[in-house]
Amino acid sequence: MHIIVCIKSVSLTAGSEGALRSYDAVEVNPFDRPAIETALSLREAMGGRVTTLSMGPESTLTSLMEALAMGVDRGVLACDPAFAGSDTLATSTVLAAAIRRLRPFDLVLFGTRTSDSDTGQVGSQTAVLLDIPLVGLVHAIETTPAGLRVERTADHFVERYEITLPAALTIQSGSVQPREIDLASIGPAFEGDKVAMWGLKDLGLSREQVGDAGSPTRVRSISRAVQQKACEFLNGNPLEQADELMRRLAEAGMIG
Amino acid sequence: MNSGLVQKHEVVRRAARRFCEAELRPIAKEVDQEARFPWEVAEKMGKLGYFGMQVPRELGGADLDSISYAIVVEEISRVCAALGLCITVHNSVGVYPILAFGSDEQKRRWVPPLARGEKIGAFCLTEPNAGSDAAGIESTAVRDGDGYVLNANKVFVTNGGIADTCLMFVRTHPDAEKKEISVVVAERGTPGFVVGDLEDLCGMRANPVSSIRLYDCRVPLSNLLGKEGQGLRIGLAALDTGRMGIAAQSTGIAQGALDEGLRYARQRRQFKVPIERHQAIQMMLADMATLVDAARLMTYRAAAFRDMGRPFSQASAMAKLYASEASCKVTDLAVQIHGGYGYSKSYPVERYYRDARVTRIYEGTSEVHRMVIARGLTG
Repeated sequence: MHIIVCIKSVSLTAGSEGALRSYDAVEVNPFDRPAIETALSLREAMGGRVTTLSMGPESTLTSLMEALAMGVDRGVLACDPAFAGSDTLATSTVLAAAIRRLRPFDLVLFGTRTSDSDTGQVGSQTAVLLDIPLVGLVHAIETTPAGLRVERTADHFVERYEITLPAALTIQSGSVQPREIDLASIGPAFEGDKVAMWGLKDLGLSREQVGDAGSPTRVRSISRAVQQKACEFLNGNPLEQADELMRRLAEAGMIG
Repeated sequence: MNSGLVQKHEVVRRAARRFCEAELRPIAKEVDQEARFPWEVAEKMGKLGYFGMQVPRELGGADLDSISYAIVVEEISRVCAALGLCITVHNSVGVYPILAFGSDEQKRRWVPPLARGEKIGAFCLTEPNAGSDAAGIESTAVRDGDGYVLNANKVFVTNGGIADTCLMFVRTHPDAEKKEISVVVAERGTPGFVVGDLEDLCGMRANPVSSIRLYDCRVPLSNLLGKEGQGLRIGLAALDTGRMGIAAQSTGIAQGALDEGLRYARQRRQFKVPIERHQAIQMMLADMATLVDAARLMTYRAAAFRDMGRPFSQASAMAKLYASEASCKVTDLAVQIHGGYGYSKSYPVERYYRDARVTRIYEGTSEVHRMVIARGLTG
């Protein structure tokens, strides 16, 4: 079984403009680590191999190395200056092209969302581009002779699906506890050439499909959300205060 | 350093940081207050290579370089200095001398369980009448047939309450005038091996520091590490590595205090603005960050020298001296930024402040370090 896990390196200082991009300012998106763990557990149960795939600048390599130290077999970084500015659609285009190049594959796993931009779109868009079935927010997986039986919870209903492979899943973050890295596995992760870097040409894409050019959406600005809290004291005796409170809540449409 | 090396160190840092934040941060305050060794976390660390960081893989270790080792000690100490102390002492002065001076048989016998954290190591040098003056020890090992009979009174033994494999510095020459010092391994459970009461310390309270006494404790001659009379040489080699570890620990404590100071300065408002906007606080934060950075660079330099096989004794002594004094200054400033709250146990900075203080004392006081550094200059 060949499982591909798509991961993202996220910034720990997202949204704070001018913050120093220090050596430890990025990490593997915490919502992707359960997907890595799921892939490793499936491999332990059924054999096969696990590839992690990411798109990003060269600093993303550290996250792919981290995945190798967790036990992944190889990593692929889609890296090209042309990819800069990609929105979720352009990102999915790049990932889908890389996944096609990684054929044959059986399963593509994603986290449900990212801790920085948090759109939750990349998994489903990539599955559509690859024309494979996708089940989102999966928290349990069983193997069947025909493929997989997966379970997810949506709107207080537990849904079970039987899917044939190849398929894509997004993994519910609380469903598994990602393993910690054994310090002894870090050295071996760097032995041999386990990570490949693929650019625009390797993926057979044109400039119009990726980066700013391939992105129908634009981020106009990012600013820190400010929570406005105000405290006001009501006057009068407790009965009057209660009446005033009820009046204001009703006026604001919060009660009644 | 090429980029591949730096990348490896980043992975080491991320791995250690995530583990410490997830497992250690939630209990750091409690284990300090209860003066309890966090076995539940230490056992997990044993399985993840933290107790055999520089032990070769064939002996069950993680085979990391010295910079990685410094990074891990720093990250643990940033969250819980007392466990950082356990790990650095175990790895550097507990395990390293066996790797460097032990026979193949001794390495096979002692190192694998130490590397997996199934056994804990300790370095037993200090006595009631001998600390900075290491040659003044009074403990003895007397040859008797196929063994040594050990009598020792070792105090302030880091990890003492949990140690299984103890490097005992003892006099081996029958003539008391001759100060021939050797290292003999004594193991917990041997008749005559007695663990004294735990010290009630100001800081590092989660580390079971205790005395260890040996009363006519008989061990085989094969427990001698290196040769008779090599004790001071082994001790000095161990301390070069140990000091690098304490420098890393001090850097971690200082970084932890800086993180807390910065966090508090952002949230605490006085005169209608967060106090980070006040110049007086900014000056403190700037000094703290600079001290931490310099301490870290000196520590990594000592580690890099060790990795390159260059002499690193002087660099290690300077790093330990500087980083320990920096951690005391930084933790003091972190308390100051917190004002009255900094003096309360509601915030973690008072723990960092207490923990930092001993770094200027153990593994050689600041004064002994200045002596060592001056000797390196003047010959």
